[in-house]
Amino acid sequence: MATREVISSGNELSALAARDAGCKFFGGYPITPSSEIMHEMSDLMPEVGGACIQMEDEIAGVAAAIGAGMSGVRTMTATSGPGISLKAENLGLAQMTEVPLVVVNVMRGGPSTGLPTRVSQGDVAQAKNPSHGDYKSITVCAGSLAECYTETVRAFNLADRFMQPVFVLLDETLGHMHGKAVLPTEEEVAAGIVPRKVFEGPAEEYFPYQCEHDQPAVLNPMFKGYRYHFTGLHHDRRGFPTEEIETCRKLIQRLEDKVELHKDEIESNEEFFLDDAEIMIVAYGSVSLAAKEAIRHLRADGIKAGLFRPITLWPSPQDRMRELAARIPKVLCVELNIGQYRDEVQRATGRLDINGLFKVNGRPISPYEIVNKVKEL
Amino acid sequence: MARTLMRFTGVGGQGVLLAGEIFAAAKIKTGGNGLKTATYTSQVRGGPTVVDITLDDDEIYYPYANDGEINFMLSVAQVSYDQFKKGVQEGGTIVVDPNLVKPSEEDTKKWNIIEIPIITIAKEEVGNVITQSVVALAIANTIMKPLDREVLIETMLSKVPAKVHDVNKKAYDLGEKYAKEATSK
Repeated sequence: MATREVISSGNELSALAARDAGCKFFGGYPITPSSEIMHEMSDLMPEVGGACIQMEDEIAGVAAAIGAGMSGVRTMTATSGPGISLKAENLGLAQMTEVPLVVVNVMRGGPSTGLPTRVSQGDVAQAKNPSHGDYKSITVCAGSLAECYTETVRAFNLADRFMQPVFVLLDETLGHMHGKAVLPTEEEVAAGIVPRKVFEGPAEEYFPYQCEHDQPAVLNPMFKGYRYHFTGLHHDRRGFPTEEIETCRKLIQRLEDKVELHKDEIESNEEFFLDDAEIMIVAYGSVSLAAKEAIRHLRADGIKAGLFRPITLWPSPQDRMRELAARIPKVLCVELNIGQYRDEVQRATGRLDINGLFKVNGRPISPYEIVNKVKEL
Repeated sequence: MARTLMRFTGVGGQGVLLAGEIFAAAKIKTGGNGLKTATYTSQVRGGPTVVDITLDDDEIYYPYANDGEINFMLSVAQVSYDQFKKGVQEGGTIVVDPNLVKPSEEDTKKWNIIEIPIITIAKEEVGNVITQSVVALAIANTIMKPLDREVLIETMLSKVPAKVHDVNKKAYDLGEKYAKEATSK
């Protein structure tokens, strides 16, 4: 892979990734600690013939981004937890209408307005089900500066493949930390872009929501002679509201199955010193950095610890977690929340003896806290 | 090189963030690794702000300085000094602006405390208070010597507009001069 070295922050890298992945629209409302993404996009979008609009509030921000997605372009919004809460209704609309969209959430302390400038991972459960109803969230989580870039790029491709919003979770630490990132070149990223499917037959034979039971809708760009309808109501093959029993059932089952039956295209994780591990630390996002540093110290003390880092949080890499938990005696989840992902680790592994090290005061978990916790186990 | 951990503290609005970015970028330029993290409060101005800078030849994972491991701290606000000094290792160096920070008797026994009137230098000798972050940068590098001064100056100039190059070079030279004087005492 051809690479380049960039010195930047996680937020700025996420914006750069959006541009390189072909994003042409950003709609949003600045909120700490994600604001730099919007600042960058306001420079980058005009450069590539796109647009960046600061809307009147969070709700309008995502609504504008969804509108751009409906028109056919790659589109993005960025926010933090309070913004996701406000955007939830429209995120449900995008799930129901199958509009691709990348939503970056730079997590800060919550609930409510919480701790604006402090780090947290409190939005992990929210990302799974921000809106009511049945659908499958796709949520990726960067664990390094380079991944703020590469996971944003991947999110755009996943959004177009599965035709739905894709969450990119960063956290305050990653968003604001500043250092070196080794990235794929712009050409490499451009070559990897897989645009959404388009129907090319005659307009009278076009039915955007008539698709295989495990495939997403095929939404043609607007203003090209293909007419269809968007609604949050259960809808028929052309997008018009219906209450026909089988159509309703098939629609919601398909929203589930288009993701559930193709998890292998989405799942991703990193394994760090797990080959001979007797203790498996599960951590993601910036906490995984502290975990890696802790593992260095633990290994130096002769303790065989390793890290399992889910990169795709939803759907979780459950099969791999189960395999590893079947042979590694001790498992410790380290999170900046009170075990939001430990619930998933317990479910995936079928084990109820998963230990936890949790912090919710807006401060990072240090490598030494992890070292001490592991030694207690 | 072993890991160098430096901490710059002040209050929001003083521009301590930039010095951290310059250090990290200069270290990366020389082929190593550098990371800057900042912690601040939701107050726009006046809240205690801390910038941690980690420089290493090896890969750096955890981006914050661990308490008790910091080699060098520079502080231009009492509130930040009080809150963040405990991160500095015993015998470590702390540079304070004596007009803004009054270290206790106890502190002077625990740490090597150096007094340099950073803000006054920037305001009166350089002629622009904004250059205090460059004065601070020069002081840190002169005392700790983590980086070649030419690389650091070049990196610093690449991050400020051309029209203020001269004033920032002047700020660097003055910071260096005061640091040398203070450490030769």
